Amino acid sequence: MSGSDLFTGTLDLLILRTLSVEPLHGYAIGRRIREGSEGVLSVEEGALYPALHRLEGKGFLESEWGKTDTGRRAKFYRVTRVGAEHLGVESARWAEFSGAVHAILDR
Amino acid sequence: MSRWPFERRFRPGQIRSDADADIREEIELYLDLRAQELEEEGLPPDEARRVARERFGKPEQVEDELRRQAHTRRTREGTTVMMSGLKQDLGYAVRTLRRSPGFTAVAVLTLGLALGGNTAIFSVVDAALLQALPFEDHERLVFVNGVHVQDGEPAFRGASYPEFRDWRERARSIDGMSAVANFEAALTGDGTAERAMVEVVSEDYFDLLGVRPLVGRLFQPDEYALGGAQPVAIVSEALFERRFEGDPSALGQQLIVNDIPLTVVGVVAEAFGGIALDAELWVPEPMISLGMSPEILDSRGSRFLNVVGRLSAGTDVEAAQAELEAIGSALEAEYPRAHEDRSARLQGFRDGYLGDTGQLLWVFLGAGALLLLIAAANVANLLLVRAHGRTKEIVLRRALGAGGRRIAGQLLTESATLAVMGGVLGLFVASSSLSLLTPLIPDGVLPGYVEPRLSPAAFVFSLVALGVVGLGIGLVPAASSARVDLASRLRQSSKVSAGGPGRFRPQHVFVVAQVSMALALMVGAGLLTRSFQAQLGVDTGVEYEGVGAMSLQLPRTRYDTDEAVRAFDRELERRLALLPGVSSVSLSSDLPFRNGSSGAYIFREGDGPDDRIRFHYHAVSPGFFETIGVELLRGRFLDETDVEGALPVVVITETMERRVYPDESAVGKTMYLRPDGTLPAEVVGVIADVRFRDVTTSLFADANSPDAFFPLRQRATLRLEAAVRTTAELSTVLPMMRSTVNELDPNLPVAQLAPMAEAFRTETAMPRFAAFLMTIFSVLAAVVACVGIYGILAFSVGQRSREIAIRRAIGATGGSVARSVVGDGVKLAAAGMVVGAGVAMFGSSVLEAFLFQVERSDPTTFVVVGLGMVAFALVAAIVPAVRATRRQPAEALKAD
Repeated sequence: MSGSDLFTGTLDLLILRTLSVEPLHGYAIGRRIREGSEGVLSVEEGALYPALHRLEGKGFLESEWGKTDTGRRAKFYRVTRVGAEHLGVESARWAEFSGAVHAILDR
Repeated sequence: MSRWPFERRFRPGQIRSDADADIREEIELYLDLRAQELEEEGLPPDEARRVARERFGKPEQVEDELRRQAHTRRTREGTTVMMSGLKQDLGYAVRTLRRSPGFTAVAVLTLGLALGGNTAIFSVVDAALLQALPFEDHERLVFVNGVHVQDGEPAFRGASYPEFRDWRERARSIDGMSAVANFEAALTGDGTAERAMVEVVSEDYFDLLGVRPLVGRLFQPDEYALGGAQPVAIVSEALFERRFEGDPSALGQQLIVNDIPLTVVGVVAEAFGGIALDAELWVPEPMISLGMSPEILDSRGSRFLNVVGRLSAGTDVEAAQAELEAIGSALEAEYPRAHEDRSARLQGFRDGYLGDTGQLLWVFLGAGALLLLIAAANVANLLLVRAHGRTKEIVLRRALGAGGRRIAGQLLTESATLAVMGGVLGLFVASSSLSLLTPLIPDGVLPGYVEPRLSPAAFVFSLVALGVVGLGIGLVPAASSARVDLASRLRQSSKVSAGGPGRFRPQHVFVVAQVSMALALMVGAGLLTRSFQAQLGVDTGVEYEGVGAMSLQLPRTRYDTDEAVRAFDRELERRLALLPGVSSVSLSSDLPFRNGSSGAYIFREGDGPDDRIRFHYHAVSPGFFETIGVELLRGRFLDETDVEGALPVVVITETMERRVYPDESAVGKTMYLRPDGTLPAEVVGVIADVRFRDVTTSLFADANSPDAFFPLRQRATLRLEAAVRTTAELSTVLPMMRSTVNELDPNLPVAQLAPMAEAFRTETAMPRFAAFLMTIFSVLAAVVACVGIYGILAFSVGQRSREIAIRRAIGATGGSVARSVVGDGVKLAAAGMVVGAGVAMFGSSVLEAFLFQVERSDPTTFVVVGLGMVAFALVAAIVPAVRATRRQPAEALKAD
């Protein structure tokens, strides 16, 4: 495994952010996160699905079955209104948190 | 990596199968696409697929987790989450256990064997030590034993009638006291002749034991009055059923006992067998004439009575004992001859009935506890190994969102599932070993009222003990592994090679402890076995093979003169000699190990009353010596010339000769049975020692009086043992012996019809049984301990597969790898054996009382047992060692 491990809760945030652009299936979400962070962040691959299902269970995501580009059946996830609100709150909290960490590290 | 399990046996229900399929499809798509991506990066297709899976983690676990999530969501509303959670955990536990059948089998087997073995032995102990005795309020009942103190060693004897009366009059601390004499008597009249145990009882007997009549009445005070013997009897329910078909109107009818008609006045419940436990008929004291000469009641020296008493309220055994000793001293002062070195010793009923067995049972209880500990260590060990092997799984599950509590719950469910399976097996082992063992318990080891049966309390106790110790130890590391640092543990995959066996200390401690306890048990078994063999090896002076024996009791009424008895003896001897293959016939007052012989005193020429020498008295026919195979040392055996009216003669044993005439030959000397120089007997022969009473006491010990043999024809006896030596099969000759007696006197019951060898087997039954049971325990312990060794080696081979592969790749041979694995096993075993030898040296002291001619530090036993343990350890190490060499280096390096 390369890159840093993710803090608990961070994975949720990254998934919601990735899906807020467009609905994706699981593999694509993982790949987006990896590529988006230029390989720095990588999802513990086995942890992705439980996180997706958990978020769906909480009502932050909804899912439906569709087709991939190559025509295979795949489950696509999309952020709900509640999920979008949650993303907003958590993003703000994250920004505050990382700002605070930066402030200390940069001092 | 295991195959993706598409086929699932434990599907949680059809309705959900769609959702399950969705989950699988979703993950499958991911793996496909990921593999494709890796392929594009340049990996070969197979490799790409493998890496995709590996990066993903364990797909089956992820799937389980997803299903659990889905399930929890569904059950959040309405149905009880807890119950379905439990059901789900159970399903998960069963799946997990099925995935590792080896672990499951070993754990269940260990649990089952230890539980079963313990429950069986605890059931026996429970029955013997805890079950109620068949007497009302038995805790306050005591035996008042007469004791003869010789060389400071008290030997239990009976009490004489005058002695009993003195005790009863003087003792304040004992509320009621009753004397009981017992003997077997012939029951004749309607129906077949049979023998029944009769108890002659003094007043208070039934009150004391809390017995009430089922039908009719107990004895009345006037029936106890000496001098006015009334022929009345109380019988047991079983005897009443046999002789009178249980008809209550049969009360008042007569029963012929030893040819004397007795009127049945009452019936007592079958559960009551008197203090003899197997008595079926009771007569009041004056009826002693039924089996013995009534004058015996006047003799201070005839100690033939069992005395029972009930402690007064507010007294304890110690106080009563002190009082009786004071009475004993007073009696010794009043009757210096009859009470010399005599005293009394109280014994609770339970102790009295258990005798030596009580102590032995505690030893077995200890052995059972050790076995339980060994098994518990095994369970703990297995759980440790497993917890370690599953760290990654647990960490992953936590990362996937499972709570620590949930994981602990699942582990607990798994343990409980194991416990239930082990418990079921244990119950089976317990019940089958009990029904197998119970018939093997020889007569006389346990008192008659003890009926060993599966005790639920014993099972629950064993289960709880095992559970608390085993699971308790096992859960600690399991729980702590659920708390490990997730990130670091996830990265550290299981393929990181572990070191040698130096790595997991707690397991090593367990294995060493197991081996040491098993070794201690094996030493115990070895010592008992050696001791038993020593007893078998004792020269008893008798050739048992080919000899059949029976005992007869001639009724005084019909055989009222010596002439009548002699006529019977002669005719019986003549007829027995005609049976097939018979080379000699013996009639005697007693035979070795079959019945007690009576003691008497003898005096040399010129001896005063104080020079008396105690000996055991036997009256024998001329055929006795040849029949039981005795060796003549000097002079001659008794023969046909030693008849009534001829010179009174006696044959003595070598030990007796040494005791009476230390410096010269006894042959030709005259001894006297009275101090006044009357009742002479000339010694005509000296024979090699014959063991009559026990195998283990030294014949030279002062307490063990020597033996002398008088001609039966000069001293007729009503109590008769008849034996034949034959070359024919005993199984055919024995029934003929019975019919010979029946033809001669149809009203004379035959008892104890058996091969002579059986008497010796019964005598050595206790050490045989002790050695046998201890061996079972120690083998179980050794097997369980070896499972422990096996477990840890198998685990360490698994852990070291990568290291071993590298070593093989750089040139190590299979042999050297195997040697290192076996070496690890032997090192563990050796450490356990060193500790165990110490434990055994110390612990064998509890066995000291049971050892005969074997030191408790017997080097042979220790060496043999040690070698046995090494062999066990090698066997345990072989499978993992072979597995280590079989593994192909390339395969081992690629795997995981």
